Amino acid sequence: MLRITGGQVYDPANNVHGVVRDLCIENGRVVADVSGGRTIDASGMIVFPGGVDVHTHVAGAALNFARGMIPEQQRMARAITRSKVQRAGIGGSTPTTFATGYLYAGLGYTTVNEAAVPILSARHTHEELHDTPILDKSCCALMANNELLLDLFEAGEFEKAREVTAWLIYAAKAYGVKAVNPGGVTGWKWGKDCKGLHDVVPGYNKVTPGKIISALAKIVDDLGLPHPLHLHCNNLGAPGNFTTTLETMKLLEGNRAHMAHLQYHSYGGDDWYTMKSESATIAEYFNAHPNLTTDAGAVLFGDTVTITADGPWQHLLYKLTGKKWGNIDVENETGCGVVPYVYKEKNLVNAVQWAVGLELLLLINDPWRVFLTTDHPNGAAFWRYPEIIQLLMSSEFRKEELKKLAPKAMKRIILPELTREYTLSEIAIITSAGPARALGLKQKGHLGIGADADVAIFNAGKDVARMFSYPRYVIKSGEVVIEEGEIRKTVDGKGFLVKPHYDPKIEDYIRPLFQQVYTMSFDNYPVEMSRIMHPDIQPCMPHNL
Amino acid sequence: MGGKVSCTLGEVKNRADLIIYWGGNPAECHPRHFTKYTIMQKGKYVPNGRKDRTMVLVDIRETPSAKAADIFLQVRPTKDFEVITLLRAMIKDQPVDEAAVAETGLSLEQLRDLVARMKACKFGVFFFGMGLSMTRGKHMNSAALLTLAAEMNAFTKFVAMPMRGHGNVTGGDVILRYTTGYPFGISLSRGYPRFNPGEFSTIDLLIRGDCDAALILGADPGATMPQPAIEHLKRIPTIVLDPKVTHTSRLARVHITTAATGISAGGTVYRMDEIPLPLRPPLKGPYPTDEEVIRRIREAVAKKADWMPGMNGVVAAA
Repeated sequence: MLRITGGQVYDPANNVHGVVRDLCIENGRVVADVSGGRTIDASGMIVFPGGVDVHTHVAGAALNFARGMIPEQQRMARAITRSKVQRAGIGGSTPTTFATGYLYAGLGYTTVNEAAVPILSARHTHEELHDTPILDKSCCALMANNELLLDLFEAGEFEKAREVTAWLIYAAKAYGVKAVNPGGVTGWKWGKDCKGLHDVVPGYNKVTPGKIISALAKIVDDLGLPHPLHLHCNNLGAPGNFTTTLETMKLLEGNRAHMAHLQYHSYGGDDWYTMKSESATIAEYFNAHPNLTTDAGAVLFGDTVTITADGPWQHLLYKLTGKKWGNIDVENETGCGVVPYVYKEKNLVNAVQWAVGLELLLLINDPWRVFLTTDHPNGAAFWRYPEIIQLLMSSEFRKEELKKLAPKAMKRIILPELTREYTLSEIAIITSAGPARALGLKQKGHLGIGADADVAIFNAGKDVARMFSYPRYVIKSGEVVIEEGEIRKTVDGKGFLVKPHYDPKIEDYIRPLFQQVYTMSFDNYPVEMSRIMHPDIQPCMPHNL
Repeated sequence: MGGKVSCTLGEVKNRADLIIYWGGNPAECHPRHFTKYTIMQKGKYVPNGRKDRTMVLVDIRETPSAKAADIFLQVRPTKDFEVITLLRAMIKDQPVDEAAVAETGLSLEQLRDLVARMKACKFGVFFFGMGLSMTRGKHMNSAALLTLAAEMNAFTKFVAMPMRGHGNVTGGDVILRYTTGYPFGISLSRGYPRFNPGEFSTIDLLIRGDCDAALILGADPGATMPQPAIEHLKRIPTIVLDPKVTHTSRLARVHITTAATGISAGGTVYRMDEIPLPLRPPLKGPYPTDEEVIRRIREAVAKKADWMPGMNGVVAAA
C-alpha cells in the first residue's frame, strides 16, 4: 500500500492537468483510497504516469550485433557498477540489457515497445527482454519482406495471407506487426532496393511496396490487433523522400497506421547538397488524417550507432561515411544493417535532420498522435530524451541551440519560425498517455482507478532537462524502484503479446514451404511461451474505421 | 573499415552461387555444412543445387575438403593477408606487382579468374576458418577478408561468415555481448565490464598469473592452451564442469560431472549465424545440469560477506 500526497498530478487521459491530489496504490494498481502503508510526500513535485516508449530498439540480434561492433564507444559509455540491487553493465548508445532497464526506469519510463523483431531470431529477442528488468515490454514482428507473405500477395491470396500473418505473430510471441522498407529489404537480398511505392519487388512480377503496405494495414485491422501497422516507409533518409511518405499516407486512408520515426521521412531537395525540411507539408497532411499516429524519431547531435532492418539504406550510409558496416540478411524474412554514426551541428544534412524532428513535434497539433522518440539508438540514445523535452518546452532554448548550426542551414528549415512551447500536460501525453493509447494498452499511460501503478515523480523546477533526467521517485507495479535518484529495488516486467485468431490448419500450408526454404526445423520456429517472463495476452478486436 | 557483412545460413542455401571456403576444412570439421547449408542443397534461386553453385577452397594444404571444391587455391603458409590485399586491389582494377603475386604461391591468372568469378556471381559468400583467423596475422586476416566482402557489395551481393565451432561458443559470445557489451576478454574486477583482448583474455590472465581461481565450463583448456597457462591452472583451485573427464579435469581440484547438453540437459544453442535453436533432451540423466550447479554455487557465494568493487577479482574462463 502506498499513498503519494501533495504532488501536482498530470494525468491527461483522465483530464487531470496539474491538480494537487493524492494518488493511492494497492496490489500494483491505482485505487481510490488506502489506509495505512507508506506515504510519499510529493509536495513541490509533479506526478506523471510512467513513460511509455512506442518505438525503440532495446533487444535483439541486430542490436546485439551493434554492441559487439563498437567497443570504442562502449569504452566511453557510462559504467553501471554492480551493487546489491543492480547488476553490472554499461550505458552508451547500445546499453546492455540490465542497464537498459535501469536507465529507462531512471527516466521514469516503465513500458517499452521493441520495434523490430525478425521471427527467425525472436527467441533471442525474448532472451534479451527477459533480462531487461523493471520494464513491461512488447515487440513488433517484421513482416513486410516475409517471402511466405509476399508469395501469397503475388498470388492474390489475401485471406490466406491473413491467416499466415496471424500464425506468424503468435509464433514470434509478438504484440504487433512491423513493416520496414516493404519490398526493399527483399530487393536487398540481390543488392537492390525499392524506392517507390510502384516499383516491382525484385524476384516478383506483381508485388509492389504499395500493395504490401495496403495489404498488411488491412490484415492488422481485420485481425483487430491493439496496435496498428507499425510502418517504416520506403526511401528512408533520402533527400526528396517526403513525396514517398505522402503517397504512403494516402494509401493508408481507411486503415489505421503508426508512421515510425517520421523525421527520417520528411525531407525535400534533390540531393545531399539541396536537402531541406518538408515537415510542414507532412504535418499538414498528417493533421488532417486522424487514422494515423507517429513518433518523431528525433535526432540529437553526438555519437551513436544506427541500426535498422533497412539493409540497402545502411549500405548507402556505409558508402557515405566510410565507417564500419554490419549487415545480417535473415533468410526469407528481413535484413539488418548497422553503421556507427556521428551527427554534427556543422553538417548541413544533420542540421536539417535535427530541426525536422523538432518541427514535426511542434507542427503536429494533436499531441495524442505524435510521440517522443529518437528511434533509439538511431537518432540518439533514449537516455537523452530530457534534452528534447527541454527543446520542446522552451523556444528561447531552441533559439540558443539554433545558433550552433551553420548559418546556411537556416534557409532549409522552419524551426526558427516556430514559437510553440509544450506544456507539462502535453509532455505527459507525448511520453506516456499518447503512446499507451496508440499501443492499445488500456492499463498504461494514465493514473485512473484500475490503471497499472506505474508512476514517475519529478521535482518541479525550471531546469527541465535536469528535472526529467533525475526523477525523485519511480514506481513500477506499485513498488518504489527509484528513490533519490538511485535504484532501490528491481522488479520483473511483463511481456505483452497477442494471439490473433487463425485456423490451426494453416500450419499444413506453412510447414512444407517452410521446410523447403528455411534451415531450421518447422517445430523449432515458434517461440515457446515458457520463454516469456510474465506473459500477458492482450485481446484482439476488429477495427473498423 | 571494419564490421561484418553477413547473413543467416538460409540465405546461402537459397541464393549463393559462389561459395568460397578460406582456411577451413568443413569436410572434416563441419561435416554437415555442405549438405545442410551450402553446396549440396537445392535452394529457392539455385534450384539445381550443386550444379548451380561453384565452390572454391583456399588453404595452405590439400585437405579432404578439396575433393568437394571446383577450384582449389593453395596459398603459401602465412600469405593469406597478402592474397586478400591483392584481391582488394584487383577488384578495383588497380595494378598489382607480379613479384608480390608470385610470393603468395598463386599465379596472377588464378587471381584474375577468382576476381572474375566474384564479380560475375549473383550471391557470393566467404566462410573463413581458423586457418585464416588463428594463423600469422590473426585478426588482421579476418578484418581484411571482411573488408573484401564489404567492398564486393559495390559489384554484387557478397557476405562473409566465420566457421565457428566448439559447441555453443557463439552462444557464449552472444550472451556476453548483451550482458556486458563485449564478446570476450572482459574483466568485471572493477564492478563493471571492461574489454581488452590481450589483457583480459583467458590465456593472458593465466600466463600472468593474475587470477587465483578458475571455473571452466564447456571447454578443455588443459588440452589446447599454451603450457604456461596450463601450469597456472594446476597451481590455483580449478573447478571443471563437464559431462566427461577432460584433460582439464585431470589437473583440476574439483570436477563436477554434469548432464550432457542436448542429450540430458535442455537449453538453447546458437548456430554460427547466431540463430538460436531450442534443445529438447531426449533422455533423463543422473547428473545435474550446468545451470543447476552454477545456480547452487552462486547461492552459496551470495551467503558470504558483501562484495565490494576492487576487493577481489572475478574471472570467467569460457
